[in-house]
Amino acid sequence: MKCPTYSSWFRERRLDAVCQILRLPAVMLSQIPGIGPVVKAASTTVGQKILMAITGLLLCGFLVTHLAGNLLLYAGAKQFNHYAESLHSWGILLNVAEVGLFTLFMAHIGLACSTHAMNRQARRSQYTQKESKQEPMALPSGGASGWMFVTGVIIAFFLVVHITDMRLKKNPFIDYSPAYQNGPEAGPDEFVAVRLVLTNWTAIAYVIGLLALGIHLSHGFRSALQTLGVNHPRWNRLLEIISLLFAWTITLGFLSLVTWAAMTSGTSN
Amino acid sequence: MSDEHLNLTLRIWRQDGPEDRGAFRNYQLDNVSPHMSFLEMLDVLNEQLIASSEEPVEFDHDCREGICGMCSLMINGQAHGPDRATTTCQLHMRRFNNGDTISIEPWRATAFPVVRDLVVDRSAFDRVIGSGGYVSVNTGNAPDGNAIPIPGTTQEVAMDAAACIGCGACVAACKNASAMLFVSAKVSQMAVLPQGRTERTERVLGMVAQMDKEGFGSCTNTSECEAACPAEISVEHIARLNREYARAALTAR
Ligand code: HEM
Ligand code: FES
Repeated sequence: MKCPTYSSWFRERRLDAVCQILRLPAVMLSQIPGIGPVVKAASTTVGQKILMAITGLLLCGFLVTHLAGNLLLYAGAKQFNHYAESLHSWGILLNVAEVGLFTLFMAHIGLACSTHAMNRQARRSQYTQKESKQEPMALPSGGASGWMFVTGVIIAFFLVVHITDMRLKKNPFIDYSPAYQNGPEAGPDEFVAVRLVLTNWTAIAYVIGLLALGIHLSHGFRSALQTLGVNHPRWNRLLEIISLLFAWTITLGFLSLVTWAAMTSGTSN
Repeated sequence: MSDEHLNLTLRIWRQDGPEDRGAFRNYQLDNVSPHMSFLEMLDVLNEQLIASSEEPVEFDHDCREGICGMCSLMINGQAHGPDRATTTCQLHMRRFNNGDTISIEPWRATAFPVVRDLVVDRSAFDRVIGSGGYVSVNTGNAPDGNAIPIPGTTQEVAMDAAACIGCGACVAACKNASAMLFVSAKVSQMAVLPQGRTERTERVLGMVAQMDKEGFGSCTNTSECEAACPAEISVEHIARLNREYARAALTAR
């Protein structure tokens, strides 16, 4: 006969509570007239996935601009620092963009936690044996779809490292003084700072984070299109290939900068 | 094909009722003809159990020809067993080898509570259908068959969706226990036809709301459902459901 242990009872209640809390913002927003019905729809499983897809694709857009900017590292210190300065000259606009980006990440991560909790709730007792019926390479992204949450969490950790490293320049393992040779007024030399970060042993976080991103996007990009309703038998194969190319172009693009920094370390320009 | 009979070890989930915790039990079944269907094999096991005054194993079945969607077994970790486009009742014992251990579990999803042994309660699907999976028509004389022209390709899409037998294998196979393939088939078969368009907005909103209320998970687009589906429903319909839903959410009055 069923004798739920205290811990299993607690675990189930905790999952319910997590789901309730994560739904709160949507439930509150749904009281607003006009957009109320839309928000209500957005809080269902389908609605949450659509929001995930939108935030995910917007983040992909950010990655494209971020990589394009960073590839200027190859053009040399002058060009890269010029790019960094022109970004900084946006002033308050840059801060607005940063807040927007932060919001996108928070929304995406919040929805990830919410859908993940709902999915856990949907199967409380697990199979003792579970096998796939798909051909091993039915999707060009392989088994990436089963790793979305795990790779997402790795990316989130990487983001914390990345912002401490590059934006705040507070990595305790790095001596940033070479980047501050232009006097206290001039601000840091971004080119030098980037190379300091990427040649430090902590750059291993970049390799791990970027590989996780590659896996995340190799399923995520195509998945987002499907969630937004893009599916046509004539185009599906092409879309899958484009998604895979996108994912690994972004990943290898960033990774190449890590390798470049490591290989050219010691030389200065 | 060999006519050699099989000696099997069956590892079967036994559960007295919804409140029971349940556990696996092993049964030895010898001399199984390879020409039997999987369900016939279970019938033989039950004869053996009854003869030794044990409780027979409860399992669901009805048509035994792949059309009713009642049979529902997780066989060696796969919904309806190892074959594609096959229900448990269409699976033959020749797919197994002499000496095999076969593990048999019920569908596992919060929305499909176990009733007893291998039988689960799938009435959640009925409630999803009741919340919009229909068209309202006038009674009286049947309308002229070709009064509304519908392109052949459109009919094909609707027919492909209508092939869903509602067995629940999509939910069983999905890592999120999501019912999206089922719901999308039921939305699609009507959304693509003029007769179904009239109620399309309320239909998709109602069915998704009910799907959530029953406690099914969300869709990660893993496509495991498509591979497990005995009626070969395509995830193309899930994309259509998403489109229908976005449209309805933005334009419902
Ligand atoms: C640069 C950062 C990121 C990008 C560009 C990105 C992009 C995407 C895209 C395009 C999708 C597909 C959306 C869909 O199918 O609906 C997705 C899904 C997902 N992302 Fe991210 N993501 C990022 C970071 C994260 C982080 C930090 C998490 C944290 C937990 C996360 C967790 C997830 C999860 C759980 C899914 C959905 C899996 C599912 O469909 O169930 N992602 N992401
Ligand atoms: S018993 Fe009807 S489909 Fe298997």
